[in-house]
This record gives sequence, C-alpha cells and structure tokens, in this order.
Amino acid sequence: MKRTISIMMTLILAIVCIGSTFAQGAKPVTIEMWYGAAITEAGPPPDDWVVYKILREKYGIELKITAEPSNENDQDVKILAAAAANQLPDLFMVRRDPWQTLIKQGLVAPVNDMYPLMPNRAENHFNADSIAFSTIRGKSYGFAFPGSLQRNEGLVIRKDWLDKLGLKMPTTLDELYDVCYAFTFKDPDGNGKNDTYGYGAFVELFDQEQYLGRRFEPIMAAFGVAGTWNMTEKNFGLNAKKPEFFEALKFVNKMVENKVVDPDWPSLKKDDFRAAWKQGKFGVMREQMAALAAQANYAPFDKNFPNGEWAALPPPKGPKGLAATGIYDANYRIYAVSPKAIKAGKKEAIAKFLDWMASDEGYKLIGWGVEGVNYSIDANGDITDKNVPADTKFSSPKGQTVTQLRNMVFYNSALELGARYPYYTTANGRRIGPMPYLKTFQSYPWINVTGAGTIAPSPNNADLKRFINQGVQEFVLGKTALTKENFDAFVAQMDKLGAAAWEKAARAQMDENGYLK
Amino acid sequence: MKSSIRLTKSDKFFHFLVNTSLFVILAIFVIPIWSTITLSFRPNTFIGSALDGMLLAPWKWSTSAYEALLGHRAFLTSTFNSFRIFFQGVATALFLTVPLAYILSIKTLPGRKLLYGIVIIPYLFNVGLIPNYLLVAKLGLMDKLAAVYLPGAISVYNTLIMKSFFEGISEELKESARIDGASEITVLLKIILPLSKPILLTIGLYYGVHFWNDFFNAMLYLNDSALQPLPILLRNILLSSGMNEYVEVNAFGEAPIAAIKAASVLLAAIPMLIAYPFIQRYFVKGTMLGSVKG
Amino acid sequence: MIGGNSMTSPTTTIAPARAGRTGGSGLWKNIKRHKSVYLLASISLTYFVIFKYVPIWNAQIAFKDFMALDGVLGSPWVGLQNFKDFVNSYYFWELIRNTVMYSIGKMIFSIPAAIFLSVTLYECRIFFLRKSVQTLAYLPHFLSWVIMYAILLAILSPSNGIVNDVIKLFGGEPISFLTDAKAFPWIVILSDMWKEMGWSAIIFLAALMGIDPSLFEAATVEGASAWQRVRYITLPSIRPVIVMVFLLRLGTILDAGFNQIFMLYSLPVYSVADIIDTWIYRQGLLEFRFGLATAVGLFKGVFGLILIVVSNRLIRKHTDSGLY
Repeated sequence: MKRTISIMMTLILAIVCIGSTFAQGAKPVTIEMWYGAAITEAGPPPDDWVVYKILREKYGIELKITAEPSNENDQDVKILAAAAANQLPDLFMVRRDPWQTLIKQGLVAPVNDMYPLMPNRAENHFNADSIAFSTIRGKSYGFAFPGSLQRNEGLVIRKDWLDKLGLKMPTTLDELYDVCYAFTFKDPDGNGKNDTYGYGAFVELFDQEQYLGRRFEPIMAAFGVAGTWNMTEKNFGLNAKKPEFFEALKFVNKMVENKVVDPDWPSLKKDDFRAAWKQGKFGVMREQMAALAAQANYAPFDKNFPNGEWAALPPPKGPKGLAATGIYDANYRIYAVSPKAIKAGKKEAIAKFLDWMASDEGYKLIGWGVEGVNYSIDANGDITDKNVPADTKFSSPKGQTVTQLRNMVFYNSALELGARYPYYTTANGRRIGPMPYLKTFQSYPWINVTGAGTIAPSPNNADLKRFINQGVQEFVLGKTALTKENFDAFVAQMDKLGAAAWEKAARAQMDENGYLK
Repeated sequence: MKSSIRLTKSDKFFHFLVNTSLFVILAIFVIPIWSTITLSFRPNTFIGSALDGMLLAPWKWSTSAYEALLGHRAFLTSTFNSFRIFFQGVATALFLTVPLAYILSIKTLPGRKLLYGIVIIPYLFNVGLIPNYLLVAKLGLMDKLAAVYLPGAISVYNTLIMKSFFEGISEELKESARIDGASEITVLLKIILPLSKPILLTIGLYYGVHFWNDFFNAMLYLNDSALQPLPILLRNILLSSGMNEYVEVNAFGEAPIAAIKAASVLLAAIPMLIAYPFIQRYFVKGTMLGSVKG
Repeated sequence: MIGGNSMTSPTTTIAPARAGRTGGSGLWKNIKRHKSVYLLASISLTYFVIFKYVPIWNAQIAFKDFMALDGVLGSPWVGLQNFKDFVNSYYFWELIRNTVMYSIGKMIFSIPAAIFLSVTLYECRIFFLRKSVQTLAYLPHFLSWVIMYAILLAILSPSNGIVNDVIKLFGGEPISFLTDAKAFPWIVILSDMWKEMGWSAIIFLAALMGIDPSLFEAATVEGASAWQRVRYITLPSIRPVIVMVFLLRLGTILDAGFNQIFMLYSLPVYSVADIIDTWIYRQGLLEFRFGLATAVGLFKGVFGLILIVVSNRLIRKHTDSGLY
C-alpha cells in the first residue's frame, strides 16, 4: 500500500512538473526596441525596473530597450546606418523623412493586422486619424502615437515692460513694430543700459516650418504665408514663391535692419534662446507653454525678475487683416516594426507589449511610476508628486528614469495635464502655471495644414531646401538687396532647382487624398 | 644643458622675443579657458555679459552643475566605460601599430615600397560610414566595446610618425645587434622599445585621446546603455533638442544649461589632463645620448 | 630623421656592403633573412587587411544604387552615375572651393604656429612660463566643438560678446562674426588653430627633444648666436617631421573639419561654410543615398592620392626627405 501511494505521488508530482513546464509553454520572446526617451540625459530605467518583471512573468516577453540619441540628426544617422546594414531592431521610433525612405527600401513592415490585437489602444491612441497618418496606399507602415499637445505655443510679451513704458498691447504688425522699437531703445527694464531688444528668436526649422522657421511664424502668418506650404485649394504651392512672401520678408528685414530683433538670432540654438529670455534680453517671443511657465523653467526668470510678467499676446494683424500664431497639423510619433521581427514571429508579442502599456496598470507604471514611491493621488483624484520621497518623485532626476517611455502611453488626458502642469506661486505672489497659457494659446487662430506632412520630398530635397532657406536669410539680413528683381530671380532659380516640378507633384498627391480646402 | 656663456645682445633680444611671444600665447589660451571654467560655475541667477561672467567673484560661484553631473548614475557608468575603452584601446593600438611601424622603418626590407603603398592607400580612401558599418556588423562587434576602438586601432598617421622615430634610432645599434645574430623581433624588443619611451607615450596618448573622445562609433554600434561611454552622455546633454517635449522638468535641477554644458566638457577632459603631465616627464632630452656614446 | 644622426647617413655606408654579399639569389635570401620581421608584422597586417581593405571592397557601392535589403553584392550597378550626380550638383564648385580654402588655410596657419610654439617652448628658459603655456596650450584639443561653439558665441556675439564690447568701446559697429560671410572663414581657421596648435606642437616637441645636445654645444663653442642656432640646427633637425606632417595633411586636403563646420555654420554663411562633408551629410546620409556618399569619399581619396604623389616627388627633388 505504502509503495503504491509513493508511486502515485511520484507520478502526480511528475505530471504536475511536466504540466507546468508545458503551461509556461513558449520560450520568452525578446523584443528589441529603440525608443525616443522622454528626457534622454536623465538616463535609462534601472535594470530591476518593475516593467521588465511584469512583461517577463505575465507575457514571457524579454524587453531590451535602447534610447535613441536626443539630437534629431544623430537619430537619423543611427537609424539609417543600421538600416543600410539591415540591422534595425524589432520596434523603433523614426522621424517622418527617414521613415518614408525606409518604406521605399522595404525596411519597415506593414502592421494593419496588428491593430485588432490592441484593444486598449483603439480609442485614445491608434484611432482612425492615427491609422490614417501612417497609411500610405492602404498599408499602415507603423504606429502613430499621439504626440505632444497641439497648438501649445504662442506669442508672449513682457507686460511689465509695457506698463513701465506706458504702452498698450499691440494688435497690428505696425503696432508690434513700434513696441519692439520702444523695447530696444527706451530702456524698458530701467537699468540704464542699452541691453534689451524687442523681438527674440532663433532659427528653428521643421519640415512644415521652413524659411525663417517657427519663431517667426506669427509674423509670416500676418501676411498669409505661414508654413512651408499654402494648403488652400485656390492658392496651393510653396509659400516662398508667393508675392506676399516678399512683403513679409520686407517687414522682417525692416525689423532686423533697425535692430529691434535680438541680433544673435541667426546663430543661436534653442538652449541659448531660452537662456536669453531668462536673462531679460528681449520682450516679445513665441514660446511653448511649458517651456515658458512650468515651475522648473520659470524659476530662473522669476529669480532674476520677481516682477517680470509674460502676458499672452494675440497674434497681430497684417496689412490685409490676417493673423495666426502659426501652422499646425496632426502631430504623431511613428514607431515602425522591422520585417525581420515579423518574420521571426514576434508580431503577437509586440502587439501584446504595446497593448499592455496602455492598460490601466501599464499606463500608470510607465507614465508616472509606482504609487507611493514616485507619485501619490491627492484628494481630488489627481496625480501629484507631493507626499512621496523627494529623491524618487517622478519629477526628480531619479524618478525620471522610470518614466522614459511615457511618450508611448500619454495621450494628453486630463489626468496627465493635471499632473504635469501644476500651479505654483511666483516670487511676487502670483499663482501661475502652464495651463492658462495653454488654454489661451489654443484659443487663438491657427492654420491647419493637415496632409502637408505626407508630401513626398523633392528629388533634389537637400539642395533645394538649402537654396531657399539660405536665400531667405540673406534677404532678411540685408546681404542680398531685397528688391523685386532679386526676389523674382530667386524664385526663378528655385524653379530651376526643381521647385515647380515639386509643386506639381505635391498638388497631385494632395488632390488624390483630398487634403486641400 | 647649454653652457653658461655670457649672452650677447642679439641673444638677449632673442630671449626677450621668445618670452614675450609665450606671454601673448599664454593670454590667448587663458582667456577662453577661463571663460569656460567660469561658465561651468555660473549660478542660475546670473545676468550680464560674457565679460561680467569671467570676472564673477569666486564666492558667487555655484557648483550645481558639477553636483548634478557627478551625482548622475549614468555619469559614473559612462566614465567607467570610457576608461575601459581607453586602456583596452591603447593597448590594442600599440600592440598593432608598433610592429607595423617597425618593419616599415627597416630600410633593407624587400618589398618595402609595396608595404608602404599598402599602408598609405587606406589613409587616402576614407570610404565613409556605410562600408565600415557593414564590416563591423559582419564581424559581430555590435554592442561590444571593441567596436569603438578596433576600427581605428591602426592609424596610418600615427604609424608613419612612429616609423619616422624608429628610423632615427642609430643604425649602428641595430646593425651591431643583427651582426650578433639577433632576429628582428629581438632587435625590436631589446633595443628599439627601451629607447622609444617618448614616442610610445606620445602615440599612445594620441590614440587614447582619440578613443576617449569618440562618440560616433559608440553611437552607431553600442545599443546597450550599460556600455555607453561618456561622450554619448555628454552629446545628449549638449545637443538635446526638440525631441524632449516634456520641457517642464529639467533633468539636471537648478543649474543653467550653459553651465552644465561647460562642466560636462571640462569633466570629460579631466582624465587626459591628469595623464599628460605624467607622460611629459618622459620626454627627456638626450635619451639618445646615452646609447650612442655608450 | 628624428635623433642624433641627421647629419650623417650611416645606412648608405652599410647597405651596399650587404647587397654585395647576397649576389644572384639575393631576393629570396633577403626575404628569408627578414622572415622574423614578416612574422612580427603578420598580425598587424591581417588587421590591416580586415579593417582597412574590406571596407574598401564594400565601397563598391559607390558605383551602385545601394539598396539595403540587397546588400553590397545585390545592389544594381549604375557605373559613374553617383559621381556625375556629385560633380553636376548645383553647389559642386562652391563645395570644392570652400573645402580647399579651409584645408590650405588651416595648414598655412596651423603648421607654422605649431612649429613656432614648439621652438619657443624649447628655447624658453623661464620654467613657470614654459610649463604653464605647455599645459594650457594642449587643453583646447580636448574641448569638443560643441563647447567651442559656446565659447565662440560668448566671445563673438554681436550683442554681448567680448570682442564686440571692445569694438563698441572704440565707437565701431558690432560685427556678427558667425553670420558674416567675410568673417566666418577667419573664425574657422583661427579657432581651429587655437584648438589644435598646442596638440600638434607635441609631435614637434618630441622631435626637438630628440636632437643631440652635443650639436648645440658645438655650435655655441663656435660662437653661433641663438638665431643662428635655431636656423641652422633646430629647424633643419625637425625638417623631416615637418615635411611628413605637411604631406600627410595635404593628402587629406578634402577633409576640412566636418565637426567644426557642422557646429559653427548656419544658413547665412552656407556659401562660404558648406564643405564637401557637410553637403554629403545632408545629401548622402540623411537622404539614404549611400552610394553617393561613398562615391564622394572615393573622389576625395583619388584627389588626395594625386596630390601626395605629385608633392612628394617635388619635395624629394629639392630635399632628401619625403613621405616615401
């Protein structure tokens, strides 16, 4: 009897063991991902990150992540070089231009059949607009994650300077010019030194904001030539070729020649520009709401100028009454999947991974960290960084390492905005925060150029862009005389370099997709 | 040393010129370097021109930039990686370069011209990124520290400089050894190398600095964050751009960005700065003197 | 040559004697005698073949339309199309002009500056001065161009830079150096000189350290002045190194310093700042046209090769030193 029992026990034990190994079934799938870090310099998540554990235990996924370089050019180089050697990872973030090149080379896989596998993402992330954004001729070549808030920038002006000089908020371009002139020459900060300027800017070019770049868009918009492309049905084409563009350049040239623009603007980089306004160098600029008013960013300015105040400025009207802060279009970040990953059968694992990230558990873990360690929930149900240890709260340098993937789960929900942009008190007792600026900026007029982002680049892209942008700069800086003749010659040469052909091809593409209004 | 003969007027003028030139050169170097140092200690509340910045009193300096960097976990890991790359790289480079430089210096070697040609050609034909990337990938060096230094482990420029040095070593010494029946390897090890301290240290330093500062190879070939060396971290700090949308938090707390940039560059340069004075000692004049006379 | 024997050429007295002994089957015997040498260098040569020549083989993509999925061998041939695209591009002549201008400008300024620095350091007898210059002069080499850009901006900014402050003091108009097409090339050349002068001087200093001091003693005994000493002993002793450095730089004349230009240039000065490598970065790399990028690399190589061969021949004719 005893013997039978022990045999049976052994058998049961054996069956259980074998059964459990079968139940754990599939070997772990390794997913290699190159991601866009939320803040690259803060460093990657620690090796014992709870997310790795959960993925390994729940789904049998071994996640290996690499942060892409923070500089966009470096990102492109890394991705394109890896692509050339067919060494792209399973999942990777890629900017639009290189992405289109990779599609042509067959180095990114269509993912249409993965969307149904991600129910958590269907509503807030990969909705119809997102899928449309990444679809070319019926195939979606990547996942378009919602990007940052749209229309979150605006013109702001030093209200304390206006008050000191007894001026009113400018409403037209000419009034703006006069205010800038006063800011430059009438010592608005009262320190007896001639060290202030009216308008501050730097050259910040984006795919859809070429020529003088984003920081000059409010001025260009007043002439109706904001953005790279004019996306109206009647007047489609490159803005740089329009007669109104000539007028806009003349206005900016006037500002530059009369020194009402910070003269460093052509050679500044973004950090220098931001350092400059924190040191009170100029009084009017276009800035992003969090870069301006989030506590960490505002603090240095606050310390230097306790009574300084930036007020939102509605975009000034141009000669024909037009006004806008600039252009906007659908803003998504693309993560593409390599064909090698699909061939290796990782499709389901990747989908599961992405889907889990957007589940309630994943959303909080990846967005803010662990409750009680990195964040806490306050009385209103909002997420905050109070009541947790100072060195692990999600806004601390250590805390930021566990939220590096938050770009992949955020979709600008109310929860997020409340947590990211809390209010605070300034040195002189005002209660401010980024949110009021955001609401105001979003209420101002903007020009919608959705669809322009899909325009295929011209074959002579690099040289053409350089020619146009360089020419524009030379006009504005007075190195080439801004006469009608010179401008017409400039446009003619543009066409010779392929601008006319590009416009035709772009027009056909836009008509095909019905983007022009 | 030069004998202490009374200096002529022209000699006095000569030395006056030498010293004045050096003073001017000193000033030219001090000013920008001082500007960088003061930039790295600049507090967040500073307003003023660059000149004011350079004259800022030391008690007003803020160490927040250095604190932020040195307390950064990634900073310590990447420094460690950089040291590994440095030592492994220099050892590998010297191990490969010395024999090559030596055989090129042997004037009686048959096929010398051919060898020379083989060495010079790649120097000119820098074929660029992709052909090299393809090779590194094929060799399985992706995500290995060696990918940073191995492709550059023999620099033709350094090889030729070393060869030039070897050629200058007294031919009589080499000949006497050969006549005694020593093989070339013995000549190299027993005679040439002991006399080559200056050049080995110089070239070793050239290689070392190059590997230490490399970010391009590291960026392309190292994906594992545990392997990334200092320049990658620095470059991310120095050139962070529009990607970081979450501008509401500063990865480095209170220090102004400009100070962080300056501090990071100075910190990256420090190991080299410490190493150089030690190596300088070895550039002793008259190293050759003893061997020829003796 | 570096070392004490520059005045005599001992090899000429020894070599013929040896050659005489080997006779008819000389070559083979010669090789056999040197076999330990070949053995010695075999590892280095293997490395060389792998790491320098395989990429050259990969560089055949210069003649192809490179498709990543097809790899080096599978991509289709396009003959000289990539080269034609480069030479016929809109900015071709401007790129060549700028590239050569910067290379030659840097050579003309940097090499003499490094020599000057090394000789003055060598001759200086004030310990403190010599030590501090030596220490400070090599420091900028370690500064990346990113921080150099910040330094230059602080010095040259038209609104609050030091140089312009001084200009304004004298009643002048501030100059925006970094965006002025006339000033920009000077900024490039001078800042490169500042950065590399001390570091380049190291190699000349090492050569100077190797000069046999007895030569100097002999000269002083014969009543030579300091100037004469420098002119007739110091400089000629390091001439081979100077020539070699000069020739090597000549061979890479079409590499004008990508990192520097990339950090410092901006649209207003593209016409004098864009060099071959920055153009290749935009046109070749960012547009995934690797065949084109590689083709330009080969173009540069051929150009450099021709230059070296011609100049080495010229220099050989007039002096007894050269690259080979």
